[in-house]
Amino acid sequence: MPEIIERRGNWAPWLAFLLVLIAIGLNAAFFLRVPGQRVIPGLSLLLAFAALACGMLGIKRAFGQPQAYGGKISSSIFGILALLACGLLIFGWFQARSLPASARAPHVGEKAPDFILTDTEGRKVSLTQLLGHGDSSGASSTTTGGAAPKAVLLIFYRGYW
Amino acid sequence: MAISVDTPEVSGKLAAKAGYTFPILSDPNTETIRGYDLLHKGAGPDGSDISRPAEFLVDSSGVVRWENFTEDIRIRARADQMLAAARELR
Repeated sequence: MPEIIERRGNWAPWLAFLLVLIAIGLNAAFFLRVPGQRVIPGLSLLLAFAALACGMLGIKRAFGQPQAYGGKISSSIFGILALLACGLLIFGWFQARSLPASARAPHVGEKAPDFILTDTEGRKVSLTQLLGHGDSSGASSTTTGGAAPKAVLLIFYRGYW
Repeated sequence: MAISVDTPEVSGKLAAKAGYTFPILSDPNTETIRGYDLLHKGAGPDGSDISRPAEFLVDSSGVVRWENFTEDIRIRARADQMLAAARELR
């Protein structure tokens, strides 16, 4: 008479897979401009680590006690997929934070270096002009609408690609 | 004022698509970006050099009055933060 083993569901790899999907979905939320974006990277990393733990538990169960946890195949596929996605998420976390130190960047109280750059209409624009101390070239009045501004906000960004 | 390595043509497309009315300036040879020490080597498409994200509020005397250097490229200064910084100047 065969030994009767109580079969239990191996929920761990499925949960790992679900957590990873949520973590990836959270990263997609960056493009939707939802409020509270500051917490997304941390939350996503937290979910990735939770998924990592679940995925490893699931695979351990699938291979360690296959009789008790109903086979290896689906558990290990979902477990391994979840682990790979976790790896990508954690790699992405470090990639997103690998920024140059910018030690020589101007800081509060320091002078912003002047520049001359081209706008989308092909006009040369300098910071001096933008701040209303321009020469007689007239570029500042077309860019800032005439009156000298109280301040200029400079937004350096990674580009449109 | 937004600044990137994009050419005026690419920036024009961005402005048209997003409906931006503020000026977008081009620094394709990264001279200004390097001047502000914001160069992020090899981080652009095909390993090109681009600017890291950073925001500065410069008053009429040319002095930086507010700055924001993100630790994560996914998190940028929000419009309300920048507007609040501009209101502080008065």
